[in-house]
Amino acid sequence: MILERSGLRIAAVSYDSREILRAFAEKHDIGFPLLSDHDSAVIRRFGIFNPNIAPGLRAHGVPHPVDYVVAPDGMLIRKYFVPNYQHRVTASAVVLHECGAIGEDAAAVTLRSGALTVEIGFSGAKAFAGQEIGFFARFKLEKGWHVYGTPLPIAYTAASVSFDDSRIARQSFELPEARPVKIRALDETLPIYGGSFQGLGSVLLKFPFEAGRTVLPGKLRFQQCSDTVCEAPQTITFELPLTIEPGIAATPKK
Amino acid sequence: MAFEMPDDLAEKAAIMREFGRRRAAGEPVSAELHAAHVNATNDRYATGPEPGQRIPDFALPDQNGALRSLSNLSGPNGLLLVFYRSADW
Repeated sequence: MILERSGLRIAAVSYDSREILRAFAEKHDIGFPLLSDHDSAVIRRFGIFNPNIAPGLRAHGVPHPVDYVVAPDGMLIRKYFVPNYQHRVTASAVVLHECGAIGEDAAAVTLRSGALTVEIGFSGAKAFAGQEIGFFARFKLEKGWHVYGTPLPIAYTAASVSFDDSRIARQSFELPEARPVKIRALDETLPIYGGSFQGLGSVLLKFPFEAGRTVLPGKLRFQQCSDTVCEAPQTITFELPLTIEPGIAATPKK
Repeated sequence: MAFEMPDDLAEKAAIMREFGRRRAAGEPVSAELHAAHVNATNDRYATGPEPGQRIPDFALPDQNGALRSLSNLSGPNGLLLVFYRSADW
């Protein structure tokens, strides 16, 4: 699996007994460790015990469902969490952020302006309502040109990608740290990007969200400059297709 | 770590019981009840350690009974540790 090829292993923790986990692993042919935290002690130690569920209820003892990416020395690198217990971050978003890999059939668009080319795409082709999907933006600038990063005086425009859609509950986009460079023509030191670089982001879809094929409109903002010329800030709009999968109806238990 | 039990636990339990009962019986769940159930479950959610902090030590049995900790779970670049609700329901 892609995660393992990039040196990450996976393990999953729940409050289920070992017997339940063994049966579940056999039934679904699960090859990674399912850990049994039957008294929720580790869940409590992580500070994610859900205290809203009264003793006596079946779900008493469950955690708020969080995914952690942990370095071999125990340092937390990143975490994934959607603030609704019924929804999760898409697997494609985790794979994009952790391994840089993109799902098959995931949509991407290429935008060009002057010395700049930007490819923007989703981590995967599909998501359920309420899920978080990842996206990437790969920038490429011709030699001698740059765009701005942050922090930046308000007179300039930093490179950014965002989506404009009321069906989005939350979004983020991050670029690597920009390099401070003294711009001779301006006699100022400003954070810039040149050459090739990539930013990653996430979009949390609202729930409910109508199933089927849709497009999410977004915009790329930037200001491209060379050592001698600085162009006006630009906004390029784009649309990325995404298939929203129909929700699975809750199955009555036994 | 001690956890403060919310003072509206009984009220939340009533919502969760009614939600569970309707689902199990195959009865319709109103949008209001669904929202109340989700809100009660997610109330004051916590997400644990922050990036840059060390996670707590742990040692737990896996599905085959072997005791596992970070050192024997981690790959060369680390571990994706998933906390989920249940494999049973």
